[in-house]
Amino acid sequence: MLYNEPHPLEVRVLTRRFGLPNSQSIDTYLATDGYVGFRKALEMPPERIIEEVKISNLRGRGGAGFPAGLKWSFVPRESPKPKYVVVNADEGEPGTCKDRVLMENDPHQLLEGMLIAARAVGAETGYIYIRGEYRYIIEILDRAIEEAYARGYLGRNILGTGMNFDVYTHTGAGSYECGEESALLESLEGKRGQPRIRPPFPAVSGAFGCPTVLNNVETFCAVPAILRDGGAAFAALGTPRNGGTRLFALSGHVNRPGVYELPMGFNLLRMIEEVGGGIRGGRKLKAVIPGGTSCPILKAEECDVAMDFDSVAKAGSMLGSGGVIVMDETTDMVKVAVRVMRFYQHESCGWCVPCREGTIWLRKILERLDAGRGQPSDIDLVAEISRNMLGRTFCPLGDAAAMPTISYVQKFREEFEARLPKKVAVETPLVVV
Amino acid sequence: MEELVKLTIDGKQVEVPAGTLVINAAKAAGIEIPAFCYYDGLALQAACRMCLVEVKKAPKLLTACTLVAQPGMVVHTETPAVVEARKAMLEFLLTNHPLDCPVCDKGGECELQDMVFRYGAGESRFLEQKVHTEEKQFSPLVYFDAPRCILCYRCVRICDEGLGVKALGVVHRGVYTEIGPNRGDHLECDECGMCIDICPVGALTSGRYRYKTRPWEMQHVGTICAHCSNGCKTTLGVRNDAIIRANNRDRSGLNGEFLCVKGRFGFDFVEHPERLRTPLVREGGELRPVNWMQAVALVARRFEEIRARGGRIGVIGSNRTTNEENYCLQKFARQVLGTNHIDHHRTGDVVALVDALAGRTGALATTGDLYRTRAALVIAADLAQQQPFLAFQLRANWRHHGLRLYAVTPGPVREEQYAVRSVRCRPGEELAAVEGLAAELKGEPELVILFGDAVKGELVHRLVAFGDSLGIPVKYVCLVDYANSRGAADMGLLPDLLPGYRPVAEAGLERGMALPEILAAPDLDALWVVGANPLKDAPLASTAAFVVVQDLFLTETARRADVVLPAASAYEKTGTFTNVCGEIQQLRKAIDFPGAKTDLEIFGLLARAMRAEIGPANPEKVFEEIRATVPGYNVALPVLAAGGAAPSSPQNGRVPVEWRPELIRSARDTLFRSGTLGRYSQALNSVTEAPGELYRG
Amino acid sequence: MPTKVNEIIDSAAAIAKGLGVTLKEFLSPTITEDYPDSPPRFQERYRGVHVLERDENGLEKCVACFLCAAACPSNCIYIEAAENTDTIRISGGERYAKVYNIDYNRCIFCGYCVEACPTDAITHGHGFEIASYDTVTLIWRKEQLLAQPREPYPEATVTEVG
Repeated sequence: MLYNEPHPLEVRVLTRRFGLPNSQSIDTYLATDGYVGFRKALEMPPERIIEEVKISNLRGRGGAGFPAGLKWSFVPRESPKPKYVVVNADEGEPGTCKDRVLMENDPHQLLEGMLIAARAVGAETGYIYIRGEYRYIIEILDRAIEEAYARGYLGRNILGTGMNFDVYTHTGAGSYECGEESALLESLEGKRGQPRIRPPFPAVSGAFGCPTVLNNVETFCAVPAILRDGGAAFAALGTPRNGGTRLFALSGHVNRPGVYELPMGFNLLRMIEEVGGGIRGGRKLKAVIPGGTSCPILKAEECDVAMDFDSVAKAGSMLGSGGVIVMDETTDMVKVAVRVMRFYQHESCGWCVPCREGTIWLRKILERLDAGRGQPSDIDLVAEISRNMLGRTFCPLGDAAAMPTISYVQKFREEFEARLPKKVAVETPLVVV
Repeated sequence: MEELVKLTIDGKQVEVPAGTLVINAAKAAGIEIPAFCYYDGLALQAACRMCLVEVKKAPKLLTACTLVAQPGMVVHTETPAVVEARKAMLEFLLTNHPLDCPVCDKGGECELQDMVFRYGAGESRFLEQKVHTEEKQFSPLVYFDAPRCILCYRCVRICDEGLGVKALGVVHRGVYTEIGPNRGDHLECDECGMCIDICPVGALTSGRYRYKTRPWEMQHVGTICAHCSNGCKTTLGVRNDAIIRANNRDRSGLNGEFLCVKGRFGFDFVEHPERLRTPLVREGGELRPVNWMQAVALVARRFEEIRARGGRIGVIGSNRTTNEENYCLQKFARQVLGTNHIDHHRTGDVVALVDALAGRTGALATTGDLYRTRAALVIAADLAQQQPFLAFQLRANWRHHGLRLYAVTPGPVREEQYAVRSVRCRPGEELAAVEGLAAELKGEPELVILFGDAVKGELVHRLVAFGDSLGIPVKYVCLVDYANSRGAADMGLLPDLLPGYRPVAEAGLERGMALPEILAAPDLDALWVVGANPLKDAPLASTAAFVVVQDLFLTETARRADVVLPAASAYEKTGTFTNVCGEIQQLRKAIDFPGAKTDLEIFGLLARAMRAEIGPANPEKVFEEIRATVPGYNVALPVLAAGGAAPSSPQNGRVPVEWRPELIRSARDTLFRSGTLGRYSQALNSVTEAPGELYRG
Repeated sequence: MPTKVNEIIDSAAAIAKGLGVTLKEFLSPTITEDYPDSPPRFQERYRGVHVLERDENGLEKCVACFLCAAACPSNCIYIEAAENTDTIRISGGERYAKVYNIDYNRCIFCGYCVEACPTDAITHGHGFEIASYDTVTLIWRKEQLLAQPREPYPEATVTEVG
């Protein structure tokens, strides 16, 4: 199992059942306060549930950090259309593997979160849109869904309350773009996974044109604890405006890589040194990508930062999806830039011009630079192309490709310059007669 | 009264209806915001990012094509940030776009070329290898060069939304994204070529026009399509007296940019190798070429002779000749030849409709009405196949205004994709099925009824009575087949009616023989066929009859003729056509065809040879006479001259004629057939979909 | 009398001066063209009869883009285009000039066509002997304008950069 030994500094709320024998089963779940939050929610008016989530300061764990309670409150309850609860389990951000462990170890926690959301907005159908590569997790989820049906937590007349809720798993076909909420909905509807024009936002017009609550796995997983222990208790775990704990996928050149649940606002350096056991081989820290490859990189001296949405943003990066990638002094930043751009070029959906053309152009220049065939003007060109993409693409994928690239060039320019050929060969023009 | 929104664009105060997009609001204020993917009337894309504008208080640039104008909004379209963003987008677009403008068919009328000239990015910093894929042939008429494609998705949208065909889709991902036929490697569609026309660059090219010339080398002649009755305006690209292409890119004319396969590609019959170039006269049982003087003299002599001995002369007119020619033909027949045995192939019972409406003006729907009406009822017609532009109008109405369509058809039709109610009926039971819809139709605010040839004679009267019983405003369209089918009836190519649906008794004449009777008359002395092919379906009973045929080709009828006179096609003459909705439009001569003469010229020559007076053989003069004498045709000349459509309005009361439904018979042409003419179009016959079938959905 | 002497001296000086020029020119190289006995020499940029060039593979450079015809102020270029196929390949691009006529009755040798050409297909040669008693012969066809196919170039030496 990917999840490593728990660390004493962890605050285990979402991961509390990890490591229990048979943690995936409904029996283990029910024995450890399972579905308590949902039972509470059943007794509360929907507005109160949303209010509780708002109090918890739970912010979207997918990357953008939008307050979850606020998002739910946008769903027009009085709309005659059916409403949907959709889980974004298309965890595609390189460096991120938190949703995977949550679904793998505690699938019922996700189902309970969905049930509470359904109760809050009046939905009767839920979809778990899961990336195709997580095939074995689909089996785990399907088993859990079956158990929940058998125990009356899903289906018609749930727990005799008259509430109906059905849950289906839906597989993506391997596209990063489908992690973007509107592209996910397109894909869910059986169309090409391309983003939609917004507004309208999914809360108003989402799956099949109906009001939809769409959140990340981790966001839904945090909801049962909020309802069980109260929003205030959850909020108190984190920093102001950044409630609760967060799963960080610590990877790269650390001694103890793994997924750790830490309170919001945990110091990044401490995370690397204490939780991660320091840099591998006693080397020096060079840089950290704090939230998956779409976030700008932080140099070692910028790493003394509290890991919450606002503090990391202040430091010039993003908390993103919590994928912390640590790099030691041996890391070649040009190679990092190439590797990251290769990913975004491959995943660009092709819908809008700047992302489609910009990513391939950047990839080609970066590969040329890496191969030692760069030109002095290339470094500025990379930065300029990235800036030309930034904020002008249809969906955030273009920004995700552009922002880190700008940071690599800005912060490690000397490494790019060192790659330029010493003497630029003069091209002898071909004689055309 | 719609609500208005006030906003500021580039310092100009603009007032637009609520819900207007900023890109259109700017256009209304005379400010251009460039865009590739935005296209009036199609779904929004925001994919090309060319229309980025600066909006006060917005953190980043916004796409004007998706931005709805809000009160008090302050928009800037020419700030340094916007200019720079546009330049960047063009630079991105050009990175993988081949710079083969000198070869590309679109060069000179390419939107990307125009934008680069206008907004910069003429120099490239792209040193890498471009992504390249080989050109593909989607169909005999449609080619696709993927590297040139800028992925604006206009083609996909027009095919899907505009026509409901859904033949094109998007394949692959990222920079390798391509447009592809949904059928895999080839198109199975209407072959309308709308995708080619709407393509802003040279990615989709026409199999007929490819690499033949350049846009500025052609003269562009806006005329009316020679095929079906919808009367679409088609702009012919002409070079060296040859038609090279047809489109309507400037969206002038009642059809906007719409053209079907016939209008866009079916013009090539004019240069078919079997086209007649010289008059033919039967000598010793064989047709031999003679010169015009000999041929005309022979016809005049024989006509005079037969007339002098009081012989029976039958005259069969055309669905494809101009109003002027039809008018002259009946005048010639009635005044010079003294015969009233005049008819044409009737494809819809216009006469019965005019009779049933009894002079009610405004009850005949125009093509514009089809786009605006709140509800429509289609009876016994496969519009998408038989009346492609009317089908397009109704579909556009549904997309833009939520038209409620009812369809009563014998088989599946494409309109059922969006019809609120579709009813299947056995042939002959259409009206019963329609009457079953009465309760639903009564709930509509207004209705346009389109009916095919299944509704004729007494049934038309029953339909109009049904329409009256609904208690809502009802308009009608009597569907007919060919370019001037409606005009032939209007101009009195009928044995019992004079031009303008006046009974022949007014001129002191007896009712003449109708078409089948003419063919079946054993004692017929002469048969004069102008632009028709009646002998394809029925034999000529009279073996001794002297037969004169004016046509483009040696048709079945022309092979029986004693004299064949080569006629000019619709693209080789001026005059007017009246379309299925009664809208009059002007033809403009695009080319000269050596050897052929227009039918009007031929009438003039014959009249002179017979020393008869039928007035000047000049289309303008004849139209003057039509305007003066035919009720409903007194339309404004400037409208026609400007390329517009002037609705005619029959103003008579009842038309006291015998109902003869057996004479009404549509040819049931599909998109790929066009009567005898369609047989000579290589393009129409080259596609795999030809000949096509009705009622296949 | 002295005036008479002066006159003679002046005359002699003038004759000597004049003959001096003659002598100088007599000794300097001749610049008069010996045309038609020997071929005339031209400046490189001389604008003579057009030549339609071929590329290194012997294919025609002209892709029938019509830009020369569009640029021509005297409207003397007439082109008909056609598409290259796999079996008949005339030019490097998709299109080639099936017909390419220049009407030398009207051509003013301004060189705009050469400037307009995006593929360097049309150039001015040095031919000028096109005078004729029959104007019909002044419409030159493509076959007359085309450069002779030449031997392929020796292997091009291109230095790889970087």
